[in-house]
Amino acid sequence: MFLVGMISWWYQKGLINRATMIISRIRSTLDLFSVNLLLNTLFSPYKQIAAEHIDGSLEDKMRSFFDRLVSRLIGAVVRLFMITAGLIVVLLQTIFGVVVLVGWLILPLVPLLGLVLWIIDWMPR
Amino acid sequence: MNNIKYNYHSWRSEKARISVRFNKPFVIFLIGLMLILLASGLYCLTIGLSVSWFLIGLSFVPAMAIEWYNGELHHMLPTRNPSSIDDVLSADLLGRLSKKPNPLEIAELVGLVSGGHFMATRFGIGNGFLKELSSNNVDDMEEVWQEAWQIYKDTESRNMSAAVLILALIKTSKNGEKLLSHLQLDTSDLVNGIKWHNHLRYLIDQSRINRINGGIARDWSFGWTPLLDKFGQNISKRLKKYDATLDHLASHEEVVEQISEIFNNDSRQNVALVGQSGVGKTQIIHAFASYLLNGSIAKSKTRYNQVFILDASTLIATAPGRGEIEQLLPKIINEAYKAKNIILCLDNAELFFEDGTGSVDVSNILLPIVEDGRMRIIFTFEEQKFLQISQKAPVLTSNLNRIAVASSSRDQTIAVMQDQAVTLEYQNHVTIMYQALTECYRLGERYIFDVGMPGKALRLLEAATHYSDNGLVSANSVRQAIEKTIGVKIGVANSQEEKDMLLNLEDLIHKRMINQSRAVKVISDALRRARTGVRNQNRPIGTFLFLGPTGVGKTELSKALAEVYFGDIKNLIRLDMNEYSGDDDGRRLIADGSKNANSLTARVMKRPFSVVLLDEIEKASDNVLNTLLQMLDEGVLRDENNREVSFRDAIIIATSNAGADRIREYIDRGYDLEQFEEKLNSELIESGQFRVEFLNRFDEIVMFRPLNKKELIMVVDLILSGINKTLELQKISVELDENAKQYLVDVGYDPKLGARPMRRIIQRAVENLVAEQMLKDSVVSGTVMRVSLSQVKRMLDAHDHADKLASSNH
Repeated sequence: MFLVGMISWWYQKGLINRATMIISRIRSTLDLFSVNLLLNTLFSPYKQIAAEHIDGSLEDKMRSFFDRLVSRLIGAVVRLFMITAGLIVVLLQTIFGVVVLVGWLILPLVPLLGLVLWIIDWMPR
Repeated sequence: MNNIKYNYHSWRSEKARISVRFNKPFVIFLIGLMLILLASGLYCLTIGLSVSWFLIGLSFVPAMAIEWYNGELHHMLPTRNPSSIDDVLSADLLGRLSKKPNPLEIAELVGLVSGGHFMATRFGIGNGFLKELSSNNVDDMEEVWQEAWQIYKDTESRNMSAAVLILALIKTSKNGEKLLSHLQLDTSDLVNGIKWHNHLRYLIDQSRINRINGGIARDWSFGWTPLLDKFGQNISKRLKKYDATLDHLASHEEVVEQISEIFNNDSRQNVALVGQSGVGKTQIIHAFASYLLNGSIAKSKTRYNQVFILDASTLIATAPGRGEIEQLLPKIINEAYKAKNIILCLDNAELFFEDGTGSVDVSNILLPIVEDGRMRIIFTFEEQKFLQISQKAPVLTSNLNRIAVASSSRDQTIAVMQDQAVTLEYQNHVTIMYQALTECYRLGERYIFDVGMPGKALRLLEAATHYSDNGLVSANSVRQAIEKTIGVKIGVANSQEEKDMLLNLEDLIHKRMINQSRAVKVISDALRRARTGVRNQNRPIGTFLFLGPTGVGKTELSKALAEVYFGDIKNLIRLDMNEYSGDDDGRRLIADGSKNANSLTARVMKRPFSVVLLDEIEKASDNVLNTLLQMLDEGVLRDENNREVSFRDAIIIATSNAGADRIREYIDRGYDLEQFEEKLNSELIESGQFRVEFLNRFDEIVMFRPLNKKELIMVVDLILSGINKTLELQKISVELDENAKQYLVDVGYDPKLGARPMRRIIQRAVENLVAEQMLKDSVVSGTVMRVSLSQVKRMLDAHDHADKLASSNH
């Protein structure tokens, strides 16, 4: 009863829970690095620096436009840097998650495998 | 519903039985076993034994078991489409149930699990109580299961917890509700208890969930706010993360939704929260700030916006000059607007629209901003102030999106207190019972003014935590908090001292006044009814009309009562009604306390537990009497600001000389008071001195009869004991010869003035004599001064002589 209950949970709800947990952690990491927000605002002026529109001479307007352009470019560079960092962490997390899931799948088989190895008296040379 | 059964052999029941085996020692055993197997396997591996593989492999089994427990068994969910008890029963109970349980077994088991602990602590429903009402008949279980299933459905519980079963046991027991009433509870309270238990579990679950909150680069697209950081409070930063306890109140949830709607459509971007102080306006702001931080529910336009509270007093302190504030405020608002993620909040916004201490009128700056409607601002106003500002600046208020915030209902208030209880318990190291919450609501409604719900109940709950008994905050703690803070006696008489006092109230009062036994008895009865909880709570403790000649003890009885029962003569609120004979004088009775501290309403607000004495009531105008009708009838009076003032903890006594001559006449003719009471009442109504509806408002109309000479001797004794009390400091006491007393009575007796002349006569004869003897050093400390008839005569004659001389000189 004990073993049946445990194994049936392991390969059903347990597995789903584990996969959900891994996905949730990946989502949290994406949120921590604000990846979604940064992609949506990739070219927004960084911290609203020089973001004002100016009514004035053409020269003033051009200067304001370039100021905004520079602010947007700085913003995009900083954001891309953060997005890249976030994606690297997510990639590592995904690989780790896959390993955990595979490990989860084979863990109940380990005692059986051990039993087989003992029976065949296998030892590495 | 009739098919609901309990199946001992179901899959979930089996798992529940396994789960209860996972106690701490068993988990330690599993960890130990795992380590031993692993260590043995590794050892065998090093010495080349192939059994090592099996041992290492086997060590994973305990690890898997622990994982299983944590992942499923520890918090076993109910089956998806439940059809039997074992599908929904909480695992900690299910795992402990026998094959054929009976109600008594359930009563014993619930004490072992968390839901049972909750009900025992919060409601005082322990094992002993449940065992008393539970049978050991297996057949009775059928009814318990059916009832439990219904409660589980009605309360929308996630599973059938011990709390649900406790209510089912009580409901199915014959004496259940009766026994429950001993704890001052009914079944609806236990339903609330189940919901409270469920809610706490919901909060625990919510705290485990990782929320989407924008991350470290969330504010990169928004501007810097150095000025706002300096002058405002960023409540979003203080919250740090979404707080589930803030969105508990259903009415507040609605308001938060409304605010969100306004800020996410194209209308004017402002909100004015208008409501009485204490209804939770600031709490709504916090809930809204928290809502914006929850990326998965907040609407896109305002998602991750931050709420800054601007405080008028901070601004005034930093920029005291009028010009300075007018320069600073536009800069702050401009900064907030440019940052693109700021919602400004002007809490107690009336302080920005009036000049005064701690307030500044900057309406000329705010008006164009409000009219423009692009800057997101939330204003909170006290409702009366909002009306005043509407009158002063109608353009401003017509441009605001007004949301009225009403006082919360009883259930809502209790729900808010349940959330706050968690924090209060942590801060004050106490446990708060459910009965304390309901008592906070009841007494808050009755004794705390000028604040809305839930504010007043919360204020009381906070005060009650300081009166806990062994760390438990009960209804009694709440009563104590009220009694200590506003001096009202709330609970029923418990102490032996008070019981004795109530039982002997007549004797105690008679130590201060002579005879009038009937009047003393009706007053004493009223107090005994009040302190045993028998009286009608929606009326004053007692309302009495004292009729009789002057000097017979009407006022004295009121004073005696204030001193003996209400603890201090200061608890007598006396009004000479001849000062209220004009038609407009009614206004002075109900004047605002800040304008007239001596108005009746102001004095009762300060001292609700008192004797209100309306002296010479017949002299008050009809308008004034009309004003007093509601007070006599319902125990409330509204002051000029329309605030309800409670007289429900006061004794109201009106005195009148009306009918005095008739009383004397009847007594002289040998009638007893009881024989002519009704007749005299009719005469008073017929003569037009009192209206029927006014007289009918009194609980009792009590006649005071004139005092005879024998009683006046007792009055002399009373006055003498008063003199001796005064002389106690000098260690001197005075005694009067019997014939001297008799002489004083003969001289002082005036049937029309009763005992009133006696004090004056004794002052002339005794007090003057004592003063004279003390100055002549004839009396020294520690002596008893005996006053004879001749001395009394000499003193009174000397006084008369002086009076004659004085009048002849004039």
